Amino acid sequence: MAQAFFTGFFGLAAIWFGVVVFRTSSMVRSALALLFSQAAIGAMFLAMQTEFLGVLQIMMMATEMAIMAIFMVMYMMDPGGLGGMDMTHQKRLSIAAGIFGGAAAVAVSLLGGWGTVGPSTMPEAQVAALGEELLGRSMLVFETAGITILTAMIAATAVAIERRR
Amino acid sequence: MTVFLVLVMLFAGAYLVAVLEGWTSTGRLRFAGPFWAAVALLGRESIVPRKPDRVLYETAPVLLLVSAVLAAAVLPLGPHLVIADLATGALAVNAALAYVMVALVMAGWGPDGAYAMVAGWRFLGQLVAYSMLIVMPITAVAMRAGSLVTTTIVESQAGIWNALTQPLGFVLFFLAAMAVCFLPPFDLPTAPGELAGGIEAEYAGPRLAVVRLARMVLVVSLSLAVTVFFLGGWLGPFLPGWAWTSLKTLVVAATMLTAGRYVPRLRGEHVMEWGWKLGIPLALVNIFWVGITLVLRSM
Repeated sequence: MAQAFFTGFFGLAAIWFGVVVFRTSSMVRSALALLFSQAAIGAMFLAMQTEFLGVLQIMMMATEMAIMAIFMVMYMMDPGGLGGMDMTHQKRLSIAAGIFGGAAAVAVSLLGGWGTVGPSTMPEAQVAALGEELLGRSMLVFETAGITILTAMIAATAVAIERRR
Repeated sequence: MTVFLVLVMLFAGAYLVAVLEGWTSTGRLRFAGPFWAAVALLGRESIVPRKPDRVLYETAPVLLLVSAVLAAAVLPLGPHLVIADLATGALAVNAALAYVMVALVMAGWGPDGAYAMVAGWRFLGQLVAYSMLIVMPITAVAMRAGSLVTTTIVESQAGIWNALTQPLGFVLFFLAAMAVCFLPPFDLPTAPGELAGGIEAEYAGPRLAVVRLARMVLVVSLSLAVTVFFLGGWLGPFLPGWAWTSLKTLVVAATMLTAGRYVPRLRGEHVMEWGWKLGIPLALVNIFWVGITLVLRSM
């Protein structure tokens, strides 16, 4: 009961902060609202007894969203939102896509066969199992993804740097 | 009960760190100093800037305090004296410390002042420089313990402290911890004499009192982290566990506060350069070294 309450509470918090992202015209507020939306999802993971995922989500999102905020402030004309800039565009398409996506998610959650919910394993066992997965069967996948992202980052930086004689 | 005890010790630690900071900066040891400073701050008018981003401005000091307390919540003072003995304790410390940066960026942006904003973004840059040097030495510590549980990490140092088996990781973590609590020479976000207090510039009265308290608690939390991960936590002869932890934490805090007084403030680009070109390769060497010793010992 308590678990369902907290999962639902943080779920609603995540949705609310997601709404705030588009209700504000300040870039920094928007980025921080997105951060707290993602942190609420992390708290949902914690409520659902997946401790490692929850802590990792809460940790990673802080840095990612802050970096995003600095990029938005750098490149946007009106980062403080003082000029009454509108954060939305292509409204009809977005509304349609939002309704369709939301309906699909609800349909999947209602119609999908979820099976019986087994007892969760102890957090220590989860961490150990995750570690063995990452350094065993899935190692090549993760290493490939990591190297790809690193290459993209280096390439993007190299393109962005001013060429000096 | 444990929560109460740990919080009391945390705030007592913050008080002692405030006394120490006063001692290192003014040269006078005054035990009543923090009390008078607090009374003065609480009694003063809390002026709010003209056009603040109110939500961020009001949240930032509280978030800074909460993240510092949460970081300490997973660190043990004694074998059973820990608020939350999480299976992912060593990771949870990082998660809590990441929000120090979020709080400082909020405190920088919120008041709509140039000095504060420069200071907030500076700390974001500082985070990019130091964050790997927090995570990677902890990785090596967790490798030796074979666990992310902080109490297990302390128990793994029963034979010999991690500071002695992994001196490289110890030095890197110590410096990175100083950068997290923006102590000199890493005090770019407050930068006295240059940014007029930086992130503290636009806060006054009780709000400033919360910011100052949060920073003291942060220093205690990071000193506690150094103690738990590298200096054997509660392990030691004769005295009870909590006394050893407190003693070591205070010594670490005093060292942090004193060390920075003899070095000029580092520039942002230098912190970044040394963090990435020197710190990260050395942290990788440390992980490699610990791996080799573990493999050799298991043979």
